[in-house]
Amino acid sequence: MSTSVLIVEDEPEFLRRFSEAVLADGGLRLIGAVSTGAAGLALLDAQPPDVMLVDLGLPDMDGVALIRHAARHQPACDALVVTMFADDSHVMASLEAGATGYLLKDASIERIAAAVHELHAGGSPISPSIARRVLARFRVAPVPPPQPAPPQPSLLSERETEILRLVAKGFSFDTVGELLRISPHTVVTHVKKIYRKLAVHSRGEAVYEASQMGLL
Amino acid sequence: MKPRRWACSERLAHAARALAACLLLLALGPRDAGAAAIEPSQARVITAADAMPPADDDPRWKAVALPDAQPADFVWYRIDFEVTKPVAGAAWMVYLPYLYGGGSLWLNGEPAGAVPESTSTLRVRWERPLLLPLAPTQLRAGRNVLHLRAASAHLPAGAGAPRLAIGTQEELQPQFDRRLLMVRTVPLVTVLAGSVAALLVLFIWWRRRQEILYGLFGLAALLWALRTTTFVFDAMPMQWWPLWRMLYHASTGGFVIVMALFALSLAGGMRRGIAVALACYGLLGPVTYLLAGDRADTLVGRYWSAGLIPIGLSVAVLSFVAVWRQRTLGTAMIALAVTLAFAAGVHDYLVAWRSPWLESLLPRWSDHRLFLLHHAANLLLIVMGAQLTSRFVRTLHGLEEANRTLEARVAEREHELAGNYQRITTLQREQAVTQERQRIMQDLHDGLGSQLFTSLSRAERGALDNAAMAESLRHSIDEMRLAIEALASDERDFRTAFGNFCFRWEPRLREAGIVPTWSIDVPDAVLAVPPHDALQLLRIAQEALTNVLKHAQAGRVRVSLQHDGDRLVLEVCDDGRGQVAPRSAAGRGQANMQSRARRLGAELDIGDAAPGLRVRLVMPGTASA
Repeated sequence: MSTSVLIVEDEPEFLRRFSEAVLADGGLRLIGAVSTGAAGLALLDAQPPDVMLVDLGLPDMDGVALIRHAARHQPACDALVVTMFADDSHVMASLEAGATGYLLKDASIERIAAAVHELHAGGSPISPSIARRVLARFRVAPVPPPQPAPPQPSLLSERETEILRLVAKGFSFDTVGELLRISPHTVVTHVKKIYRKLAVHSRGEAVYEASQMGLL
Repeated sequence: MKPRRWACSERLAHAARALAACLLLLALGPRDAGAAAIEPSQARVITAADAMPPADDDPRWKAVALPDAQPADFVWYRIDFEVTKPVAGAAWMVYLPYLYGGGSLWLNGEPAGAVPESTSTLRVRWERPLLLPLAPTQLRAGRNVLHLRAASAHLPAGAGAPRLAIGTQEELQPQFDRRLLMVRTVPLVTVLAGSVAALLVLFIWWRRRQEILYGLFGLAALLWALRTTTFVFDAMPMQWWPLWRMLYHASTGGFVIVMALFALSLAGGMRRGIAVALACYGLLGPVTYLLAGDRADTLVGRYWSAGLIPIGLSVAVLSFVAVWRQRTLGTAMIALAVTLAFAAGVHDYLVAWRSPWLESLLPRWSDHRLFLLHHAANLLLIVMGAQLTSRFVRTLHGLEEANRTLEARVAEREHELAGNYQRITTLQREQAVTQERQRIMQDLHDGLGSQLFTSLSRAERGALDNAAMAESLRHSIDEMRLAIEALASDERDFRTAFGNFCFRWEPRLREAGIVPTWSIDVPDAVLAVPPHDALQLLRIAQEALTNVLKHAQAGRVRVSLQHDGDRLVLEVCDDGRGQVAPRSAAGRGQANMQSRARRLGAELDIGDAAPGLRVRLVMPGTASA
């Protein structure tokens, strides 16, 4: 069973590059390669992919909005953000919207395919500075939602916190795995869970803030 | 001209009489025409020291008008009066406004009352009124005889009788009360209030010597309180008399002199010579009395005191000069009060020395022998006190105003300082921003800029194939990414920046078939490295890794960051082919690293690692915080 991929990228050169990367890999199947957010949205709902590659700077809508839509309506779909510099603010915005991984725009064709496979297999890499930011995000006193649904679903486990702490200190996944006596693969699996919790946590806060402002 | 002048003085006399009538009304109260007391104006007198009234048929009796005074040690007066109203049912009394030398009173041959008489050991000055009850058994309807034994007084000299009155208590009590108030109560209050005020004001002057006016006013009030004691004691033992009398002269003269000095100060005409002359004259009277004794009393009282009148007049004139100059309500009030005091002083002098002129001008008024100066002086002291108080209050207001101005100025200066401080802070911030911008420009120029220009030049001369072009562009992107990692990130911990760097390089090395090992061995605290230093460090690491990737033909690479004590050690070791030629691309990269290390103040050592190459950077002076 190959992994289905949707590409949303407005730059033709990169659209082509990503498409080539997907087409060249036998384990991947290209559902669509579109250059607008609207087309991406339509395809996403018509034929939900396993992985969606999204560029943040789309001509008709913010890539973050597309990610948020995918996270809410197609929870089985993993959103992989493509950024130029992997700068913290763009990455964090994507992760909070529900993305579970990010990829540098100049990554090699092999690297692109590998990232899609890794993500679909359940692992997400994380850079030290993003780990630090995620930690800080959770350390902010969690605002209790108006109606407490499942008890504290978005809070990090002790293991997850430990992983983030070690990554933030600059340790590689191998080292973290050694220190915690788990495999590097388990580390990235934890990271993906952390990303999902971050999105839920952020959504909860957004809902709470919106209700506070009288929007809901 | 003469008739006119006459008419003028006639008018003046009318005015004086009207004023006297008003004062009399004030002093003695309205006279009830229907229930008038008996006021005999005639009497008969005998110069005799008999203990009992002389007989009616004594040939020495001779008729006199009341009030009267005889130059003798003791005299007897006989006053006949008719009682036309019913005697019974009313408290009858005899009212004597004064009895200077003391004496005793007899009604129809029986004793009716007495006050102490002057003797060789006692001096009596009975200034205050007497209201003696007449026994109903002694008083008869119709004709009665009153005998008055009067002892000689010191001043005015001789024994005399006042103009007395006989009537019921209702008729006489008000007169008595008013005169008592004027000649006893007011002086008593003056002595007490004057002393207290004087002490208070003198205390102020003692603490603030430059306030001459306060000193003069305190002295005047004290002198006046001393002088007024002359109305407070009815009798004085002989041994104290000379001292008391001298004090009286000294305080009278002193008061006038001090007033003159006060007026001079206020009018701005104070001269040392004038002050000394006035003080000398003020001392002349009491010193004369002290030297010559009691026999000089009349001399001093009559002539030296007269000399005070022109001084008083000049005080009045000076105070009007002050009014003319200053034109304030306060000085005008003082001038009026001084004028009143001057008039009262002249009046008292004339009354004291039984001026025939005054007696002919105001006969009824002079009979009562009311002294006015101590009332006028009280008024003067009150006006002066009010003036000084308002000066005091003005000074306080001025002080408060000055304080407010000062506070406002301080606040303004503080505001200015705060503004300056803010400007300096802004300038510093702007300077820091400018420096930061210049550094970024420098970084762009040194890194990305030179990279792009070199590539462009090589591409244009056709020395760059596709792979080399991609290589060069990738290098540029790396350069840019590094700058963003080091500069745009708000991380202050170098470990995080270094971790990001490793995170980015890991997949790239693995794709090239090189197995990386990352080792970070730094204490648990934050490792603070300034962003630009961090950028240089990461560039050196990047250069080293690029060399490994491109030239080393290595299978493994070990990157380690250590922090021991106060130095940071960055090491990149590979297992490749080792040293490179200095002129090759790798060699240029190493030269680049050396120059960056120099700028950092760090030591870079590139040597064989057998096998492979070891790049070791040691940067001192980095402390973890």
